[in-house]
Parts: sequence; structure tokens; C-alpha cells
Amino acid sequence: MIMATVLLEIRNLFQRFPLAGGQSMQILHDISLEIREQEIVAVLGPSGCGKSTLLRVIIGLETPSSGQVLYHGKVQSGLNPSAGLVFQNFALFPWLTVQQNVAMGLSSLPLGEAAREKRVQRVIDAVGLEGFEEAYPKELSGGMKQRVGFARALAVEPELLCMDEPFSALDVLTGETLRNEVIDLYTSRTSTVNTILMVTHSISEAVFMATRIVVMGAHPGTIRAVLDNPLAYPRDERHPDFFKLSQKLHALITQTVMPEEPARGAATGARRPIVQSIPTVSLAATVGLLQVLENEGAVELFELARGVDLEFTQLLLVVKAAELLGWVTTPGQRVEMTEDGRKFLRANINTRKQLLNARLQEVFVFDLIIQMLKQSDKGELPDEEILCELALHFPHERPQRIFRTVVAWARYAELFKYSGTRKVVYGLNPAR
Amino acid sequence: MITAKQFGRTERAFDWVDLAVVGLLVALIYSMVAVAREWSGPLQPVAEIHLEARYLPLYALFSLSRGVIAYGVSFLFTVVYGYAMARVAGAERLMLPVLDILQSIPVLGFLPGFVLGLVHLFPHRNLGLEMASVLMIFTGQVWNMTFSFYSSLKSVPPDLVAVARLSKLRWWERFFRLDLAYAATGLVWNSMMSMAGGWFFLSISEAFVLGEHDFRLPGLGSYMSLAIERGNSREQVFGVLTMLGMVVFVDQLLWRPVVAWAQKFTDEETDGAESWLWERVRRSRLWHACLRLSGLISYPSRRTTSQIEAPSPRADHVRQWSKPLALSLTVAGVLYGLVKYAHLLATLDGGEWLDLFRSTAATFLRVLSAVALASLWTVPVGVMIGRSPRWSRVFQPTIQMAASFPAPMIFPVVVGGMLMFGVGLGISSVVLLLLGTQWYILFNVIAGSSSIPRELWEVSRLARFSWRDRWQKLILPAIFPSLLTGWITAMGGAWNASIVAEFIKYRGQTLATTGLGAAISQATERGDFHVLAAAVGLMAVTVVGFNRLVWRPLSHRAQTRYSLNE
Repeated sequence: MIMATVLLEIRNLFQRFPLAGGQSMQILHDISLEIREQEIVAVLGPSGCGKSTLLRVIIGLETPSSGQVLYHGKVQSGLNPSAGLVFQNFALFPWLTVQQNVAMGLSSLPLGEAAREKRVQRVIDAVGLEGFEEAYPKELSGGMKQRVGFARALAVEPELLCMDEPFSALDVLTGETLRNEVIDLYTSRTSTVNTILMVTHSISEAVFMATRIVVMGAHPGTIRAVLDNPLAYPRDERHPDFFKLSQKLHALITQTVMPEEPARGAATGARRPIVQSIPTVSLAATVGLLQVLENEGAVELFELARGVDLEFTQLLLVVKAAELLGWVTTPGQRVEMTEDGRKFLRANINTRKQLLNARLQEVFVFDLIIQMLKQSDKGELPDEEILCELALHFPHERPQRIFRTVVAWARYAELFKYSGTRKVVYGLNPAR
Repeated sequence: MITAKQFGRTERAFDWVDLAVVGLLVALIYSMVAVAREWSGPLQPVAEIHLEARYLPLYALFSLSRGVIAYGVSFLFTVVYGYAMARVAGAERLMLPVLDILQSIPVLGFLPGFVLGLVHLFPHRNLGLEMASVLMIFTGQVWNMTFSFYSSLKSVPPDLVAVARLSKLRWWERFFRLDLAYAATGLVWNSMMSMAGGWFFLSISEAFVLGEHDFRLPGLGSYMSLAIERGNSREQVFGVLTMLGMVVFVDQLLWRPVVAWAQKFTDEETDGAESWLWERVRRSRLWHACLRLSGLISYPSRRTTSQIEAPSPRADHVRQWSKPLALSLTVAGVLYGLVKYAHLLATLDGGEWLDLFRSTAATFLRVLSAVALASLWTVPVGVMIGRSPRWSRVFQPTIQMAASFPAPMIFPVVVGGMLMFGVGLGISSVVLLLLGTQWYILFNVIAGSSSIPRELWEVSRLARFSWRDRWQKLILPAIFPSLLTGWITAMGGAWNASIVAEFIKYRGQTLATTGLGAAISQATERGDFHVLAAAVGLMAVTVVGFNRLVWRPLSHRAQTRYSLNE
């Protein structure tokens, strides 16, 4: 294969986001990436890895804190002149008709009335919206709305088509149809689109569509791996190579979410936090995982993902939570229930709470808050103090999200209480 | 973009609506001539008001034109002030509190400044006085519109902003297609309320005494005030009927169509607002001609766009200068105003202050009682209406119209009636405040109760809630946020209304009671600017203080604890 020319290059990109109280959170850490002509690049990663932010920086909606985006070899400042963007939640103007929505991006182009009308009609035909020209978005189904989103992006005749999880707000079957249509659009070369850059959290979507897959890790967002996908279009989901590549990606993502050896991050230059925060998932989901494992005792992660109706990265977080609580171990790609896990599952509700209470005291985040509560004078702590402390310990995560999970777990385990109206943590009650 | 072909399906042949539109245009031109003649006429501080019924249509026309022009001014102010407040970096820190204070100043607080200033500016024409009257109506309309526009601008969805940026819309394109369109729904509803609010002080805005000067402009408000002063019941009835006619006219010909049209700006599929007029207009030929015309305006060919791009270095230079300059000018202006104001207040002695404080307390009590009394009937009735979609549909338009009718016009009847039973103005003014402000609470309670999910009603039935439990555990918490909004608006309105409720000219006699509103009215009539300044200041401080100390914490609680959408 001949190496195609580089369309877009990202060099040492960092992105920080200011938090309340003068602190800041790092979203993207030292991203370098080349996007070449004639490819579909999928950026794949768990939620919170900054993949949408990366897309917005590439298209020029956000300015990077440091680093550069080069387009055709020139440093890009401001909006990319030949890129279109498709949004996850469509972003249609409710008060404009389909036709007017599509024409939105054309008002800044030096086009005559007739040429503009012709172009609008052409893209409307291309995405299969004929007959809907005069409809308002509220009259359309989700799939039709997203077609308008595509038509609007295509109307400016972009060279680079960016898509931010374009199918995730659609039902499964509609998503399937639109995915195929996008691939047809790309392979038939009937549009001006040269390269597609898409963000997704679905592994099968990435394997189905992309020619190259960029795997990102979270907290902060870094590039972990870049894989080529040479499968020929149209792709068959039951093809052994399709299966092999998805499995490889599953393993890669597992490795990013639950690293085997903690020192792995040194390769990217990121200074990992010394301690882990907790996965922001619900306890009910974690207990549910135990229930699924109860019969088999041990199962491959990949198998597990097919058995439960949960997005893979989300499932990994649940597994990670179960591992943190000592209920499972994860040798390689397997999940195995531990004796503690069985004990918990067999216990009644009160014993479960006691077990969990004792276990949580050993987890760093909870221990941190317990110590703070012990030192406070009235046995009460305003949530702001805890949020500050969390932001210090976990500079790459949103403190509010961790806090919400901590409170939910602690309430279930009756470890401490939280009053949402007074905004204080109180009532420490460690079981022993 | 929009061609005749696309509308072929819905377009109808030339029908009576087109004729009516042409007729309306002719009427409009005539009214403009009549209004222009009145405005440019020589200054007559006391225009002769004729009490014969045949003058009423002309007077209604004059009043309506003032209201409409005032609304135009309100709209412009809203757009400019709201846009600057939301979009100029750092501006809201100053502009928001200023707006808060301005809205708490009663209409008479603006009167001397407007009248004296503008009459001086146009000493020989009616224009100055007319403008003062329009501006006074404006102060009764504008504030809630500005707040609504501002909060809409602050909540424009970021994705739509991204699309606007990607489409490289110019600021004015973005303003019309995104900002204004997004704010349209809120702006339309607030415009309706504003128009009603403007009529409330129509009598004052058209006929007032300032020191030795007695100012009167021909209009429905001055007609009413003269009829009331003379105690002519027949003329009062005529005036009320004309006012009612005007309210219905504006409602049917302006607001219903506008509300129906504005539905296209909402995201969700709504039913409800219908307008016979809008239905006809939408299908008429003239409307499509207009659309085509506006299509040409909003999508002009732009072959020459690339010429005007980067701002010149000179513009940057100006920008660099303008901000500190504007800031220091504002600060200087505010300081000057404060010093002048302090000078005015310094002349008041302790006794006068004591009187004013006592008046404030009296009015405060009246306002509180009026709001409490209004809640007593509006809460149960509003909850009942809101629960049934059918009832809401039936009652909503009627209530809206009732609310648009300026209550002060029927004050004399109420006061007269209560005097017969030996009730003085001190008590009956509470009833007057109630008349003016109950609607705000009713509206909001209906809205709150209609947004309680059906499932919660079902749960309360399944749990066999007692009557008391149902109110305590379901209805009151659920409507609390809306009720609070109603209370805040009603209370602000009641403070303002006290200036017409505590001081009434009726059958040749002047009725007044102890109260801040009466103090303001009397001070205006005497031309005693010291007392006027102090009283207006006291009212503003009380209203703003109450908002900060009571309403704001309660609103916070309402949003965090009693909000139905999580």
C-alpha cells in the first residue's frame, strides 16, 4: 500500500479545562496523530477520555492549551475551512425547515441563489431526504434528524468529515442503516469527502467502519495505540478477521482501563496518580456482575461483553469496581469470582452492608474521607472541602463525579451520611 | 430559498383576508396621520378631554398607539440591553443589579425626570409630553422582557452555537437565526404580560399633576381619570367597555396570531395555541408575498464576501480605548447621581423620615396581605384548572384577557362599594392591590399544577392520601417553584400598584391613606421632589432587599429541592 499524503497533523496537543476554585483539569495529554487522505479514522475510548474534545480542537471549535494542529502542512488557527461536523444529538435548529437547516452552512459561501438551491437539493437527495424539505425537525424521527445533520455537514462540500458519536442517539437498527450509508458514501466517492474522522465508544462500530482505529485512554486522555484495519468493504461482522480485530481491541481497551502493571503509563510520559480513584459506577451494577458470574465462576471478558447489554468500556468499569472490592480477580482477559465475592452474594442484606462497610474502609478514597471526618470538630465536613481534596489527589478526573459515587457507595454501606440540603458529610459509622 | 412552487399546496386564492389586510393598512395609515397630528400639535399641558362617547374610538387609538410605540421601545431596549448583558464579557456584573434596581422603581419615580426633561427639550410641541407618556408606559412593560431575553441568551444550547460558528454566520445572522429565534418563545409570552403591565398605569401615564402643572394627554386613560374624578358612572362604564374592547382587539389580532406563529420556535410538538387569524393569514397570498420578500432580505447573494474580513488595526485601537472609557464614564455618572441624590435627601428632617418609614411599614403589610389573600383563592382554583387539560384550554385565554385589563380602572367602583359599608381606603386598598396582582399567582399555579406528572397523581390515589396529605406531600411541593415565581412577580406588582391604590381621586374628592404609595403620589402632585426621591428610594430598597433576603434563598431551595425535572 502506498502511503497516502498527510491531510492533518496534530503535534503535542495538551488541553486543560478550568475547574471552580482556580484549579484545572487536564483533558488531553500530549496527543500526536496524523490523519491521511482517503481513510476513515475512528477514535475509540472510554467516556471521559477527551475524544470529543479532540474532535472539537481538530475542527477549530476549541483552541488547544498548547500544541498545534496542521492542516495541509499549515498551522491551523480558527475554524478549519474545509471540514464538516455531525453531532451526536443532531443540533438542528427547531425553527428552521430541513431545507433551511441544510442551507445553514452555505450562507457564508460566495454562491448565487440558484447554485445554493441546487446544492441543497443535491445533498438532500444524497442522504435520502427528498420529500422532507419543508418539514421541521420536530416532525422527524431520530434517524431522519441525523440525515439532516449529515446533509448539513455535506452541503459545505467538506474534505474532512468529522462525526461525534453520530449513531449513538439512534436505535440499533437505524444506526445500522446509517452506518452502511456513510460507508457507501465514502467508498462510492460521489461526494467531496476525502477523509472521515469519527469518535465512538463502540468497538464493533469502529471495526465495521474505520480503516484506522486510534485507541485512547482516560484521565488524562492519551493515545494508547493506533491499529490499521485492512478489511475490505463491505465488511461482514461474522468474518473471522472482523472477530479477531474486535477481540484485539477488547484486549487493548481492557489494558487501558485496567492496566496489568501500573508502570505502563511511563511510556507516554504521563505521571500517573499514585493512588487509584474509584470507578464511577453504581453498586447495583457491580452486584449484578456477581450474579452473572455466580453459575460459571469465571468467564472471558469478551464473552461477558456479549452476554450483558452494556457498552464494553462501561462493563470494564464495573469489573474494575468489583475487583477493587475484592469480589473478582482478572487474570489476563478472564474474570474470576473470589471467595469474598461468593460470601457477599450469599449474605443477606444486613451482612452485605457490614461486609461492604469493612471493605470500603480499606479503599483509599473512603479512608481519606474517614480521616478527614475524624479530624473535623463536629464530625461534619462541608462537601466543598472534600471536593478540593479529591481534585488534588485526582487531577485528571471530575471531582463531582467521584464524590457522587463515593456518597452512593457509602450510603449503601452505611459508612457515612451526606445531606444534600446542608451539603455536609456526617455521621461516620465504621463497622468493626 | 423560498419559491412560490413550494407553497402551491397550501396557498389559497385571493380571499377576504387579503381584503381585510388591505383595509387594515388603510386604517393604519389613517391612524398614523391622526397620531402624528396630535403629536406635532402645539403644546397644551391640559388638553381638553371630551367625555362624549363618540370621542372614545379616537382616544382608544391614541392610547393604543402609545402602548404600541412604548412596546417598540421596550423591544429595542430589551434586545440591546439583554444582548450586551449576556454577551459582553464582564457586563452582567454591573448590568444585572442595575436592571434589578430599575425594575423596583415605581412608575412615578421616573415621571418628573421624563416630563421635565422632555418638555424642556420640546417646549412648543406636544411631542415632549407624548414622549414622556410613552416612556412611562415603557417602564411598566420592559423589565420582565429584558430578564426573559437575557436568560434565554444564557441558555442557548452549545451545540447550536457550534453549528452557527461552523457555518461562519456573521454576528447579525447569528443574532437573528439563533439568539432571537431561541429567545422567541419566552419573549412572546413576556411581551403579552408586558403589554398588560403597560396598560396598568395608563391613567397615570396620560394624566398627572406635577407641582403646579397639570398635564393631560387625550387618551383612554385620561378619559377614565376625568370620568372618575367627576363621578360620571355612565362615562366610566363606557371607558371600561372601550378598554375591554381594546384588550380583546389586541389579544385576538396581535397576540393569538403571534403565539400561534411562535410555536415554530419550540422544540417539542405542541398543541393548544390556535388562532383563527393566523390560520387565515398563513394561507393567504399576501403573506407569501411577504415571505418571499423577507427571503430575499435574509439570504442576499454574497459574491463579494471575502472583501470585508479582518478588523482593521484602528478598530482594535478603538476597542482597547473604549472599554475603560465607558467604564469610567459610567462610574462618574453613577457617582454624580449619588451625590445629587444625597443632596436631595439631606433636606428631609427626622419627622418626615419617620412618616416615610411608617408609610413603608403600612404598605409592606398591605402588600403581604394582598399576596396572601390572592394565594388563598388562586392556589386551589389554579391547581384545579391546571389538573385538567380541558379546563386549562377553556380558562387560560379568558384569564389572560382578564389579566390584561388594567385593574385601576375599576378601583373607584370597588372603593365606592366599600365606602358604603364603611370600610376606609386603608383596608380597601388591600383589595385593590389584590385585584391587580392575583393573576400572576393564578397563571403560575396553573402552569405548576399542569406540569405535575400524571403518575404522581396516581400514586397519591393508590396510597389513599387524605385530602391533607395530598396537599402537603404532593401539590404544594410540586407547585412550589411556580408559586414562588408568581409570588415574586405579584409582590413586585403590588408595590408598584400601591401608588394608585392608596391615593384615589373620586367624585371630586381626594382619598388617601397612610402608605408609601400614597406618599409618592402626593409628593408628585405637590411637586415635592425631596420626599418623592426619598420615598421612591425607600420603595426600591425595600423591594430589592426583600428579593435578596427572602425570595432568592427560597428560589434556590425551590430549584434544588422541589424541581420536578432532576
